Amino acid sequence: MLQMNNVSKVYQTEMVQTHALRDFNLQVNEGEFIAVTGPSGSGKTTFLNIAGMLEPFNEGEYLLDGVNVGSLNDNQRADLRNQKIGFIFQGFNLIPDLNLYENIEVPLRYRGIKANERKRRIEQCLEQVGLASRAKHLPQQLSGGQQQRVAIARALAGEPRFLLADEPTGNLDSLMARQVMELLEQINRDGATIVMVTHDSELARRAPRNIQVVDGQLADFTLYQGAQTIKTASGV
Amino acid sequence: MFIHYLDLSWRSFKRTPLVSFLMVLAIAIGIGITMTSLSVYHMMSADPIPEKSSQLYSVQLQTMDDGSTWWTEDNMPLQLTYQDAENLLNAPTSEKKVAMMRTGFSVYLDSDKIKPFIGSARMTTPDFFSMFDLSFLYGGAWSKEQENSAAPVVVITQEINDKLFAGKNSVGELIYLDDASYQVAGVINHWPLNIKYYDLNNGAFNQVEELFMPFSLIKAKELVSWGNSNGWKHENTPTFADKLQSEQVWIQFWAELNTLEQKQAYQNYLLAYMQEQQKRGRFNRKELEYKLRDVNQWMQYNNVVTEDNKILVGLSFMFLGVCLANILGLLLAKFLRRAPEVGVRRALGASKRQIFLQHLVEVAMLGFIGGMLGIVLAQLGLMGVGQSYDYYENLATMDLTMLLSAPLIAITTCILAGLYPAWLVCKTNPAIYLKSQ
Repeated sequence: MLQMNNVSKVYQTEMVQTHALRDFNLQVNEGEFIAVTGPSGSGKTTFLNIAGMLEPFNEGEYLLDGVNVGSLNDNQRADLRNQKIGFIFQGFNLIPDLNLYENIEVPLRYRGIKANERKRRIEQCLEQVGLASRAKHLPQQLSGGQQQRVAIARALAGEPRFLLADEPTGNLDSLMARQVMELLEQINRDGATIVMVTHDSELARRAPRNIQVVDGQLADFTLYQGAQTIKTASGV
Repeated sequence: MFIHYLDLSWRSFKRTPLVSFLMVLAIAIGIGITMTSLSVYHMMSADPIPEKSSQLYSVQLQTMDDGSTWWTEDNMPLQLTYQDAENLLNAPTSEKKVAMMRTGFSVYLDSDKIKPFIGSARMTTPDFFSMFDLSFLYGGAWSKEQENSAAPVVVITQEINDKLFAGKNSVGELIYLDDASYQVAGVINHWPLNIKYYDLNNGAFNQVEELFMPFSLIKAKELVSWGNSNGWKHENTPTFADKLQSEQVWIQFWAELNTLEQKQAYQNYLLAYMQEQQKRGRFNRKELEYKLRDVNQWMQYNNVVTEDNKILVGLSFMFLGVCLANILGLLLAKFLRRAPEVGVRRALGASKRQIFLQHLVEVAMLGFIGGMLGIVLAQLGLMGVGQSYDYYENLATMDLTMLLSAPLIAITTCILAGLYPAWLVCKTNPAIYLKSQ
């Protein structure tokens, strides 16, 4: 599904050169649920942005579903992103002027899906996250947890095969966080591949596979299989 | 998607009503001022008779002896002498031609109900009406015979007919001009002429005359010109007959030449005429010279649209530029404030091109609203201009071309102003804003 080979990302200013990712290697298989942890500034979000094609990388190779991302232009990347990837952000990133229905409609419009099909998908997704009755509400009329569920519904509406979640529970209390996590687990069971960046080690442990990013490199690789934990170094 | 972009633009308008209103107001003021000056300029420079402006030629003859100079750019007198005008009128050539002069009379009826008033008159030949596309409400032009016999007949305008005869068919009625009575031969329909191109002596934008009468009456009644009479050498002209035979120029002359062959033949005729006149002691010059200028060339030659008008249009466009610079600043602030939302849209699959188009549609909508409001302001401006001078009354209007141009100019200029902010917002890195929102 996702394969990164020796991917490097350098932020360059006049004075400083920062290596956000160095020779980053990772393979994510179809249907996996991966939690990415690591200290602040370690490169987790940079990895997620590159995985979501929101940022270019300097070196290496990135294949998404067999497509070499490095060879695509902006329009092609936007199309690929729109068709294969769903985003869930820590800050929900709902558009405040649009009601829930319209927020979920945004990626579908860019994909050129017809109105009746959009309606079907939106209603289905709102049903799935338990907010069908709030379709005409504006985001600010909802709680944080509800807003995140709308963001998840928006990510799901495009029927993506790959979900990227950046601290999806970071702004939520523990009850809401648990509900959102259960929703993500359900989505994963339904077949979506999920990569979730989190600081919360307890939450990370609920994911079947954990990776740790330190100083822009994959430092640790942990696989939770029920009660048994297999730990390997550097993902080997 | 365009409708969706329009919807987003309208929401954006409502989200920041004050900034949006300021932008619309800036566009409206810029467009209002620009369209006011542009409309006047457009009316001043518009072809007054587009269907045949390239077939009507003003005739100029170089009557001056060698060594004499005139103030025109090509040293040519603007009018003809009476004797040349009469000779050209009587020429055995087939084209339509008119000689004419402006004069005026005290106008009254044999009735105490209408107060006498001063009316301006055009002394001309009967072809005038068909050459310059005038139509008749009642009656028609006087006949060739009446022209030749200096018959006391007159064609009046619809306005004068309304004033003197309450709009009734007045053909055959008598009106008094100075001390003689004249029979009404016809009444012309309202002639809305913005530029009095056929005689630019008394100002290009003056009203057309109210009375039209046979050219032959000039000689018969010894009528003086209400236009310019110019001479280039000392001549003693104590009597009217002396003036008619003098080298003073005071008659306008036009010919209708419908084909190139007709024009060439007329040019040959003019040359032959001057050569023949040379034998009689006139046109004492080495090189004989004449000019045929069509309507638009004639207007340009006479500087109908002055440099001042052009400068005014230029200044108004510069003012529009200043307004747009302000709009550009406001758009920059507004669009960049929206960068986080753009980041989300980009993450959700919008390409840079789609973001760019969305923002261009928004500025186009601002331009359209501003353009519409600008038309209202331009109408107020034109009302003000129209009231400043009488002759601006006809010029200070917006025709359909200008009405359609206003929103088009507003949208185009707004899109130009919005290109940079739209480009800037679409090329921002979405990743920066997704984390920070």
